[in-house]
Amino acid sequence: MSVVVAQEKKPLIRFDIKKCAFCKICELSCSKYHYKKFGDSISRITIIRKGPLMFKCHICTRCEKRFCITACPTKALSYKGGNIVVDPKLCNSCGDCVKACPFHGIRLHPETKLPLICDLCDGDPSCVKDCPKGALSLVWLPEVRK
Amino acid sequence: MMKYSGYKGKVLAINLTTKKTSSIEITDEFARKYLGGNGFAVRYIFDMVDPRMDAFDATNVVAMMTGPFQGINSPTAGKYYMATKSPLTNGYFDSVSGGFIGAQIKYAGYDGFLITGKADKPTYLFVEDGKVEFRPAEKLWGRLTGETQEMIKEEVGDPNLCVSAIGPAGENLVRYACVITEYRAAGRGGVGAVLGSKKLKAVAVRGSGTNEVADPEAYEAWMQWYKEEAKKVPGLAVGLPTYGTPALVASIGKMLGAMGSYNHKTEFFQNWENISGERLKKEFWDKDTACPACPIACSKVFSAKSGKWKGAISEGPEYETIYSLGSMCGIDDLGAIIKGDSLCDEWGMDTVSYGVAVSFIMEAYEKQLITRENTDGVEFKFGNDDAMIAYIEKTAKREGIGNLIAEGSLRAARVIGGGSERFAIQVKGLEIPGHSARALRGMSLGYATATRGGSHHDPRPTGEYAGASDRKAVEGKAAWVIGTQQMTTIGDSLVNCHFLERLLGFTLTQKWVDMINPVTGFGYTLEELTTVAERILDLERSFNVRTGIRRKDDTLPRRFLEEPIPEGPSQGMHTDEPTLNRMLDEFYVIKGWDPKTGIPTKEKLIRMGLEDVADRLAKEGISC
Repeated sequence: MSVVVAQEKKPLIRFDIKKCAFCKICELSCSKYHYKKFGDSISRITIIRKGPLMFKCHICTRCEKRFCITACPTKALSYKGGNIVVDPKLCNSCGDCVKACPFHGIRLHPETKLPLICDLCDGDPSCVKDCPKGALSLVWLPEVRK
Repeated sequence: MMKYSGYKGKVLAINLTTKKTSSIEITDEFARKYLGGNGFAVRYIFDMVDPRMDAFDATNVVAMMTGPFQGINSPTAGKYYMATKSPLTNGYFDSVSGGFIGAQIKYAGYDGFLITGKADKPTYLFVEDGKVEFRPAEKLWGRLTGETQEMIKEEVGDPNLCVSAIGPAGENLVRYACVITEYRAAGRGGVGAVLGSKKLKAVAVRGSGTNEVADPEAYEAWMQWYKEEAKKVPGLAVGLPTYGTPALVASIGKMLGAMGSYNHKTEFFQNWENISGERLKKEFWDKDTACPACPIACSKVFSAKSGKWKGAISEGPEYETIYSLGSMCGIDDLGAIIKGDSLCDEWGMDTVSYGVAVSFIMEAYEKQLITRENTDGVEFKFGNDDAMIAYIEKTAKREGIGNLIAEGSLRAARVIGGGSERFAIQVKGLEIPGHSARALRGMSLGYATATRGGSHHDPRPTGEYAGASDRKAVEGKAAWVIGTQQMTTIGDSLVNCHFLERLLGFTLTQKWVDMINPVTGFGYTLEELTTVAERILDLERSFNVRTGIRRKDDTLPRRFLEEPIPEGPSQGMHTDEPTLNRMLDEFYVIKGWDPKTGIPTKEKLIRMGLEDVADRLAKEGISC
């Protein structure tokens, strides 16, 4: 049985498919914030287009099941303060977390091979700030605990 | 490592005949001299292509280029640039399209590709970081552009892969076949047909690298400046984001009476309201879309919710397509225009040239220069939306009179004869878009002198619409046109959208310089940037004069020179031959081109740092 714990809340970057224009500015903002470089391969958010009207947003959803943490063979991943945190000392870059995430919210950095997972940019997500169409927003949902 | 930012320092030369690739170094000096996109491509094509060869010869080169801005988040940088010797105009031709593939080329470690040779069987290129694969494309041959992209994404296993593809029109060498990336087109001039002649179905690119700017702090300051200033420009802040380019139907079609209709028998379309941007937004709009990195999002997905063409859906149509498939063909059903727009994209051909070629056939039919015997019994009358739609596929497959439409209006006129060349709405073979050569004096001179011919992206009409230059004036127009051509050339070299003109200037200004320097680190002055533009334009012209282009070719369709606009707000306007000649004289003098022949003078070429080009022209006996 799930119990809602009112005082604990979980962040979510909400995606509005109607507003998204597929400009990918979020991807470039993300890479710029984290690495001071522009590139979609080092972005923690990805927008996919599957037709004239079908867009998808791939980003860590902070799901309840935390498939990535369960899948990690070296216990390099943990959940802290609303984020999935990577311990670079423990991570062996096996990519099991990437495969385990049903939301396609994780990719490996092309050079360091460490998992790239949304960390909300210290609480003020740059993708949300820079989205020209207001398609992304940061919301806080009640944390569900089993 | 290059001293300047925004470059990867190498261009990949790809030979489809030998299936070999080689890397060409971009030096600091080369980057500074030619900037990117347009500048890089014209230098390579001038050096590599014999201009007298047929465009479908294996030795022709297709340049797929980026500028320093691709891959960064600068507004409108989400584009890529293609150039070749055009099968439509026989001259140098470039076509710029939205698409994240430009960024991916950078991320893969290149500033661009130079594709030459001819594959022995259908092929597509898969470029991933430093690796190039020539992949079989027999399964893709004959397929539409949408499914081609999807099949390649599936084969590679990456839904986010960037693919630029041609459709059956390109395979069948329709002279204005385009290249489609996502839902955007490198539309004009037949780059897709040249790829088809090379049996190259698509180019797919994926890169894991990055792009950076020279001065992040100055760049950030510029981005902030852009955000603040763009809010104050109505076109960028309201017009384009709300309606997209279809907003122009009301301002050009109604207010100015300058939207070519019925193959330019008139420029006032009585039913303009039926095809207006306002109606499109109200009744057909589904969502806004954007080219990558663009906050303007002027593109829209529209669909027909009811009526004869219910279910038709397209990203677009843009204003130009509403003109070419709509008012030019006497069609006022937006559903038909949406259907035609999506079919042209899927079969892979330019909507402007197709629509204007169809409207030409409609007038020839009306004048009984062709009859139902020529059209398989189809009543090819103005307003026949079924014919306009049905002949997209037939043109792509070159069936029946589609085979003639596929040649473009100039070549079709030469076949039909009977004086029809008079009303073939083209310059140098390129069909003229929806910006009037009669109601805008700058466009009279602009189309006549543009490298590409009837293109509104060499000269620009926007400044005359905005009143920055008096649209009726003859005095000073040559300098104005040269200024807009310099601006578009720089835009095409950065590979940015020309819509920045509304903020940065319709001609080159310090604001353009201020955008470029933080990204590249060139420290350009306005004077040096202007020289870069002139250098590129002189190279384009030098390529074209080697194909035989001279002053006599810098002209307009007879209809425009001899028939004033018959009705509406711009009634009576046109540029007659003496007036055009007066402006041309002034134009060549300012350019430093010989007024008798239109050939760039040796002195001008040397001043632009193009001594080798001057030598080449002299050696071929075409210098003056």
